[in-house]
Amino acid sequence: MIAEISDLQFSYGPIKALDGISLNLAEGAVGLLGPNGAGKSTLLRILLGFLAPQHGQGRVLGFDIRLEQARIRRHVGYMPEDDCLIPGMDAVTFTAYFGELSGMPRQEAMKRAHDVLFYVGLGESRYRFLETYSAGMKQRLKLAQAIVHDPKLLFLDEPTSNLDPQGRREILELIQDISSKKDIQVLICSHILSDIETVCSDVVILNKGRLAAQGKLSELRELHYRLYEIRIKGEGEGFTARIKALGCRVEETEDKLLKVYVPAEMDIREIFRVAEGEKCQVRHFVRSRTSLEDLFARAVGVD
Amino acid sequence: MTIREKGYAHWDGQLRERRFPWAPITWLGIRLAFKKKYFKFIIFSSLVPAVVFLVGIYISERIEDFQYMFKGNKQILEVNPAYFKTYLSSDFLLFMMVMILVVSGAGLISDDLKHNSLQLYFARPLTKRGYLLGKANVIVFFLLLLTLVPGLVFIIFKLLFAGDFRFLASYPWLPLSVIGYSLFVTGFFCSYTLLFSSLSKNRRYVSILIFAVYLFSDILFGFFYENYKKPAFALLSLKANLQQVGSWFFRLKPAYAVPWYWSLLILLAFGIAASIVLNKKVRGVEVVK
Repeated sequence: MIAEISDLQFSYGPIKALDGISLNLAEGAVGLLGPNGAGKSTLLRILLGFLAPQHGQGRVLGFDIRLEQARIRRHVGYMPEDDCLIPGMDAVTFTAYFGELSGMPRQEAMKRAHDVLFYVGLGESRYRFLETYSAGMKQRLKLAQAIVHDPKLLFLDEPTSNLDPQGRREILELIQDISSKKDIQVLICSHILSDIETVCSDVVILNKGRLAAQGKLSELRELHYRLYEIRIKGEGEGFTARIKALGCRVEETEDKLLKVYVPAEMDIREIFRVAEGEKCQVRHFVRSRTSLEDLFARAVGVD
Repeated sequence: MTIREKGYAHWDGQLRERRFPWAPITWLGIRLAFKKKYFKFIIFSSLVPAVVFLVGIYISERIEDFQYMFKGNKQILEVNPAYFKTYLSSDFLLFMMVMILVVSGAGLISDDLKHNSLQLYFARPLTKRGYLLGKANVIVFFLLLLTLVPGLVFIIFKLLFAGDFRFLASYPWLPLSVIGYSLFVTGFFCSYTLLFSSLSKNRRYVSILIFAVYLFSDILFGFFYENYKKPAFALLSLKANLQQVGSWFFRLKPAYAVPWYWSLLILLAFGIAASIVLNKKVRGVEVVK
């Protein structure tokens, strides 16, 4: 378990940013999702040890979030969303510098900086001044400084923002590599749901300071509903109205394909009974994989 | 080399708790300062008065050999507390200190604010105090190089040239005065620079502020003093205040007929204001937006 928190509450004045959140973050890559103002940043601040919760308790990597904040920060890596650099430095000095600040001896930090810069693909440009780096290179550099001290847990805030598709793919590959083979746990905060879907096995969805959904992506898909793609021949309106009355959510695509979200407890044969009653032919009936987008929309209550 | 060609490997070392977690910040600040244009020239120019005063100490011990140069004005080269005070609070040295602050100190915090690097610092096991101490020590290093080091070197060379300890016996408190005043001036300029550096994300504005506030406070004093002839206007000038406090450290009569402790209070108030502003501006909690 990388983090356990219980009944976490935090308010900025009268505004409740976190309202009694309890969760256990499993090992591997975990995606942190939520609309703006959901409390993601506040949760990240607390997990990083920047804020002490007003109520509740928790541990990150076994360290108390109230009492052992410095220890937490020694063992975690953080890749912020914004571009951040120190002018007048090259990538090696920059990366080694943050390794030193994390507690690495100077020579070790310098040696390790070379290694991680090669790893993130900045080996050839490691002696260039940071001011001359492109957006993609800065993103890789932020990842390099986050992993230089070989953290046990990596916090990635919007790791693929401002990247072209190729750069995005490469960063995601790196994150996947780190989380799957390198024994480093990863918590990714992102608005790009497909990124989360690509990299993460678990998700945490926050909404209005509360926990909206949490668990393994595959289980969450199963847990809430099943998605079927249905194409019918005949009067579609009556069919749609009746299956909606049974508790299904129905979306119709432009080419008249019905995406039906069937509640977990509903018997699937009901759909065929409705079709029979409405004198419709079911021409296409395929179980579809629900996307994270569907899950997210359902969890936060938006279409 | 393409991505991941070399592969990721775990680091097998042990992360350790540093005794001085701010030390890497200080060394980096010093290294970056030396990379700045004109900085080496400024720092070496600032050391010229130290060399001149050192030569003065040598001549004072061999005054008989250099009589033809002074024609009776031997008191010019009398090495006493006033000699030290003259060096440490001379207009030129204070001006050069401000120039060093402009070049090496202006960007200490403002660059971090501009380039969002505060969040990287505070994602490390580093406290706000550690961060500020690391930045302040860059200034401390350069200013003590110009004040404390020459001051102590003067005393050592005076004893070496004299070949006895009579000088130290006459002024046993002098080493403490040199240390105390050097630390005081350095401490003041640290808070002065870090305060302005935290006020803007633009290093140029900060440089202008550091220079302009020092200069205009002196111009203001000069203007009022010339027109109204009241020594109390010396309190308007940062330079005059530093010199007034310097007089107290070296047990000398202040240049202006204003109690030295008023100057001390003004400079301390500046330091307190700086610590309040710094506490508000440099906040670890802003690391995640």
